[in-house]
Amino acid sequence: MLGWEYPPFLTGGLGTACHGLVNALKKYVPVTLILPTFSEAFVEERLKIIGLSDAELEYLDRNRPVYEGVKTIVVHSDFDFDPYPVGPKFEASLRAERELLVADKGSPLFGSQDPYGPQILQKVERYRDMVAELVATEDFDVIHAHDWITVPAALRLKELTGKPLVLHVHSLETDRIGEFQDFTNNAVYELERLGMEAADRVVPVSEYTKKVAVKNYGIDPAKMMPVYNAINPAETFRIEKPTDEKLVVFLGRITYQKGPEFMIESATKLLSKYKKVKFAVAGTGDKLDHLKAMVAQRGLKDKFVFTGFLPTPSVKQLLAQADVYFMPSVSEPFGLSALEAAQFDVPVIVSTQSGVSEVLPNTLQADFWDTDRFANFLFALLNYEGLRKDLVENTKKDLSILTWDESAQDVLEVYGQLA
Amino acid sequence: MGAVCLYFQVHQPYRLKEYSFFRIGADHNYGATQQNYAILQRVADLCYLPANEMMLRLIDRHEGKFKICYSISGSALEQMATFRPDVLESFRALAKTGCVEFLNETQYHSLAYLFSPQEFERQVLMHKRRVKELLGYTCTAFRNTELIYDNSIAQTLATMGYEAVLVEGVDRFMKNDLSPNHIHKTVGTDMACLLRNYRMSDDIAFRFADKNWGGWPLTADTYSGWIEAILTQEGGNTVNVFLDYETFGEHRKKDTGIFEFIEALPKAVLAAGQRFATPTELARQRPADAPEYDVPTTTSWADADRDLGAWTQDHMQKDALNRVYALEQKVKAIADANFLEVWGRLQTSDHFYYMSTRYWKDPVHQAFSPYKNPYDAYINYMNVLTDFEGLVG
Repeated sequence: MLGWEYPPFLTGGLGTACHGLVNALKKYVPVTLILPTFSEAFVEERLKIIGLSDAELEYLDRNRPVYEGVKTIVVHSDFDFDPYPVGPKFEASLRAERELLVADKGSPLFGSQDPYGPQILQKVERYRDMVAELVATEDFDVIHAHDWITVPAALRLKELTGKPLVLHVHSLETDRIGEFQDFTNNAVYELERLGMEAADRVVPVSEYTKKVAVKNYGIDPAKMMPVYNAINPAETFRIEKPTDEKLVVFLGRITYQKGPEFMIESATKLLSKYKKVKFAVAGTGDKLDHLKAMVAQRGLKDKFVFTGFLPTPSVKQLLAQADVYFMPSVSEPFGLSALEAAQFDVPVIVSTQSGVSEVLPNTLQADFWDTDRFANFLFALLNYEGLRKDLVENTKKDLSILTWDESAQDVLEVYGQLA
Repeated sequence: MGAVCLYFQVHQPYRLKEYSFFRIGADHNYGATQQNYAILQRVADLCYLPANEMMLRLIDRHEGKFKICYSISGSALEQMATFRPDVLESFRALAKTGCVEFLNETQYHSLAYLFSPQEFERQVLMHKRRVKELLGYTCTAFRNTELIYDNSIAQTLATMGYEAVLVEGVDRFMKNDLSPNHIHKTVGTDMACLLRNYRMSDDIAFRFADKNWGGWPLTADTYSGWIEAILTQEGGNTVNVFLDYETFGEHRKKDTGIFEFIEALPKAVLAAGQRFATPTELARQRPADAPEYDVPTTTSWADADRDLGAWTQDHMQKDALNRVYALEQKVKAIADANFLEVWGRLQTSDHFYYMSTRYWKDPVHQAFSPYKNPYDAYINYMNVLTDFEGLVG
């Protein structure tokens, strides 16, 4: 299995999903997970994780046993493998990439217009080369790759070994930057398209993403089988707020994809009639400054709290106080954070343009642009107690059947379809 | 000699328009007038008019031997009076034949009995008066909303002078060989009760057009054969077939053959030596030793559980019901006909039925609801109710 991020180093849902899936899958089939870097924190029972670093290839030791039955390759690395243009180091890395571009005009491999910059694409290439060198001679049956960053490696491996390729799609470029952009010179889009074209089976994380792959990439729906993400049971708690002000939480990258402007628009409409509420915006991204300016312009500064990027424990603290979880994403392949919020008994408002809306029917759903409807939902959740109770009680049942084991079974079914 | 008792329920609610929270305090008109109009037009043309014409023809053809019974909710009657007087006229024509009984029910097809006996009585008397005014008919038998029933309702109805009440034949109360195919006595009163035979009723209402059903295609001869078996071999004295009138042409479209089936039924039943009777007739023919139908906890004709779950189970339903009935004293103190009317319409059981998350996936529930899901139904209702609460003060 070819992955990219892995807990505890996360920027989006990819690492969480990958972790949940392999740990369920390994009960049924031996899995070797290859990541671009390694941490002792990755060590899992009965799971072989290979972490790569181009800087220290010579340390590679394929047969070093960490504990019985498991082969692990440990390498030291400061490899920065954020697949998304966000995270705590976002601003700094953008600056660094800009400087790099200026300093080395000839270097980009896929064209300098790419939003992730030349660095990430070079890493993707190095990952490809190392995977090929390492794994081509290993004994395995299926290549299971996650998202565009592992596509070059997956394609190379398929070419070298002839093994069938399953491409797991957690997110697509058309989700991230909008489907109306020009994709003719977009290297990431091209990798996604190539990967899905070449794959024997494509596993999108929702029916929604399947539709996106058909519509924006022209992929044959017959070879796609959606497998939903899930969530592991966890201890949750509630924190009573000191005030009677309600709290609406928006959590995620502050980018086009997450629809933060639609959140502000909905909030403005709500606040015109209902004032005992605050909005917490947790996350960072390229639209953060724009968003803050919007809030200031509308005179709503005292109604919004921008927390910046929050580590997991702080996210839990926030969810424990939330009255509403609001995710108006423009295009959300899945939306794992909505599951986390639901686990904390927080009623959820999501856009219909999301995968999670398919597995959480007991949420309030509207088109991402329909801020009138969102505002109506917010007003109702903050005022009508029966709504919150029924949404939370019914969602508990929905969550109980949403297990990684179930997802792993679905993936095994996909493997079974490979000749 | 046994009898077949056919009772058809006619009901249309006053649906609420899409009412966003923006309107609260600014817009006090709640009705989805265009939608209500359009639905009544459709159902009138597909069902009420053609079915009434057929019934009239059958009564005529069988020279008084074919008898039927209707209950028309107040909200349906009023909408017919406003939008389709021709439908009301055809019901009046049926009333004049002497072969048709009309039942009394709550004016607003409400759950009032469960929340306020005073309000229940007000609505029942109002309905009785409106049936008299609009159809020229004086009711002597009663059916509560969705056949909601228990022993205490029987007490109330008996004091109000009814001779019969129509109820669901619920399996869990069919003790000691009781059968819905006998005329029963209510507990502690002299009033008769007629128990719906749900198997025979659902054969027409739900299974008629189901090609996977063993009984498909159902013919009038087969069906009258079943009736004959119940009334002769099983010793029953009534087969109570109670169903929504909209079954004919609306729930089951014309091309399913549902009209031809009913058209042929009277002849087949009469040829087999059986007869038709209305509820009050049956009550008057009640044997002295009629068994008691003991219903200590409240039942209805809805869903598999035959309980109140479809209207009162979810938090949203309880919340909405408690809040609308909490207005009773204030609304009655205002003593304004318009306020009473708005409040009455907000009590219609359909609003709460739409809010059921328990039965959300049930196709019967989905077919009736104008909303995408129960949450939308609750939010819309609560926005309206919040505005009305503001008016009531």
